[in-house]
Amino acid sequence: MKTLAALKVLVVEDEALVSMLVEDMLGDLGCEVVGPAAEIEEALRLAGSAEIDAALLDVNLGGRPIFPVADALKARGVPFAFASGYGEAGLTEPHKGSAVLQKPFREADLRRVLEGLAAQVV
Amino acid sequence: MTVLEADARAATEEIFDLRRRLAEAQQAHAEEVRRNQAFSRIAAAIGAHQSLSETVQAVIDGGVELIGAQFGAFFYNVIDRAGESYMLYGLAGAPDEAFANFPMPRKTAIFAPTFDGAGVVRSDDVLADPRYGKNTPNQGMPEGHLPVRSYLAAPVKTADGLVLGGLFFGHREPARFDSRAETVIMGLAAQAAVAIEWNRAGEAGDRELTERRRAEERLKFALDSGRLGSWELDVETRAYDASDICRSNYGRGPDQDFGFDDLVATIHASDRDRMLAAMDEAIRTGGEYDIEYRVVIPSGETRWVHARGRAAVRDEPLIGGGVRRMAGVSLDVTERKRAEERQRLLLNELNHRVKNTLVTVQSMAAQTLRAASDLPAFREAFEARLIALSQTHNLLTEQNWESASLREIVDAELEAFGGRERLDFDYARDLRLNPKATVAVGMAVHELATNAAKYGALSTPGGRVSIAWSTEPASPETSARLRLRWTESGGPPVPPPTRRGFGARLLEKGLAGELSGVVRLAYDQSGLVCAMTLPLAALEP
Repeated sequence: MKTLAALKVLVVEDEALVSMLVEDMLGDLGCEVVGPAAEIEEALRLAGSAEIDAALLDVNLGGRPIFPVADALKARGVPFAFASGYGEAGLTEPHKGSAVLQKPFREADLRRVLEGLAAQVV
Repeated sequence: MTVLEADARAATEEIFDLRRRLAEAQQAHAEEVRRNQAFSRIAAAIGAHQSLSETVQAVIDGGVELIGAQFGAFFYNVIDRAGESYMLYGLAGAPDEAFANFPMPRKTAIFAPTFDGAGVVRSDDVLADPRYGKNTPNQGMPEGHLPVRSYLAAPVKTADGLVLGGLFFGHREPARFDSRAETVIMGLAAQAAVAIEWNRAGEAGDRELTERRRAEERLKFALDSGRLGSWELDVETRAYDASDICRSNYGRGPDQDFGFDDLVATIHASDRDRMLAAMDEAIRTGGEYDIEYRVVIPSGETRWVHARGRAAVRDEPLIGGGVRRMAGVSLDVTERKRAEERQRLLLNELNHRVKNTLVTVQSMAAQTLRAASDLPAFREAFEARLIALSQTHNLLTEQNWESASLREIVDAELEAFGGRERLDFDYARDLRLNPKATVAVGMAVHELATNAAKYGALSTPGGRVSIAWSTEPASPETSARLRLRWTESGGPPVPPPTRRGFGARLLEKGLAGELSGVVRLAYDQSGLVCAMTLPLAALEP
């Protein structure tokens, strides 16, 4: 269990304006942003080796699904949430039930989701 | 004359008489044989299942021959909409013209027993018959009628009493038809009735058969036009019969074996249980069978089939808790399913875009608010950014959201700042950008132009902006890339900003990060310079 303060959050988001918003919100919440990664390869690299406590994943990364990154995080035991305009409907079967941040979202929504993730951090 | 002589004469006369009687008996016998032969010949002709007119003619000809009549006629009933009417006739012993100019016989006193089916009318002299000449307008035979004295008429009616018509025979001399002739004609009339009834039943059967064939052809045409296959299943034996189109829906040719087991095996493993359950339900309840399922045809391709069916005989009672037969249609709905899938993906894609755009707008609002000194300044900057974003969407919409051209992006975003007059740009060349790069580059150009209009070259009358670009092919060290340089000149000197605003952040961090490139801002004495180096792989549609 960790607090949001100094929580290291990997952000995977391919649209500059959106990642700027997320960065600002995370900054306001006291979190430390890792990334943002705009490409799958970069995201996979960070998910596999960077020092992170949690991750926020855009489901669709330039037309490519994010799920390999989710699998890598799962393998490492890093809690994560998907950010998606589809809601849970956009998730593939093995990932249904994962935390989802429905776009667009308020800072309070992001805080709630992150607190859920922080609770899983051991 | 002696006694002997008298005896001899008597004996002789007796012998003569015996001979004469013998000859008479032989003649009568021969006549009987001839008549019987004629009757069986005629009966055979009548019963030969010919056309109606041929049968009628055989009846009249036979009647004339058998009773020695001069004329014979058969008027047969054809019921028209007005009621009774004796429209058709056959003749013997007289040409067709003999009756052609007369109206059809009506149910006059003399004809009524015949047409009502009451019985035979035989008259040795019809002119003396009390029933003759009782009706207007002719009061007897019309002028020019065949000269008839002996008259014999019999109704032709079926076993259950339906009068089919009347047989009429005549002779110009009186007393020609005896009771024997009457018996013959009654027999003939009975034969005729059977033959005509048979003929009518045959025609009705033919009509029904033709009608059924036509209906079947119509059905087949309708099924074929709609690419509908038809099938039938014997529920007990599981015998399955499928039309050619139905077989083709399951990837089978007309000559290939395709039984119920083949059908079930062709259905996609994930849909098979659902299909069998739906069929069992329909069989058990006699209800509708209506299902869409995937089939894996022998070529390995997966297609979609819509099958419908129900108990083959709707009123057939349920037996043993189920129907006996099912019949139905099948339709290949692969194209529709694919269209639905495309539609679903399109809707999801649209939803994704709309939601992303909303977040983009949310981000723009938040960023603009952070930098704005007051609400009017926020409103001005925010609206300008919203319109810049909208311009890029317009360009993409024109191209089916596939791409936009660099030239159009530059034109659209600089239009609000004096456009081409103060811009040095090579309009002869162009580069197509994918949707994501279009929005990113469009917003970047907007931020540069806004900054130039506020603080840079476009803030003074003499200032100019140059946009120069080139592409570089891949080298061993780098991938193919676009170099784009925004250079301001003729404006006031630009000092580096004390804090990085939204524009600078979007360019140096956002654009560079999003498109995996490098963006540098240089605050030169002669004006701002923005140098972008972006990999073509991230830009190209």
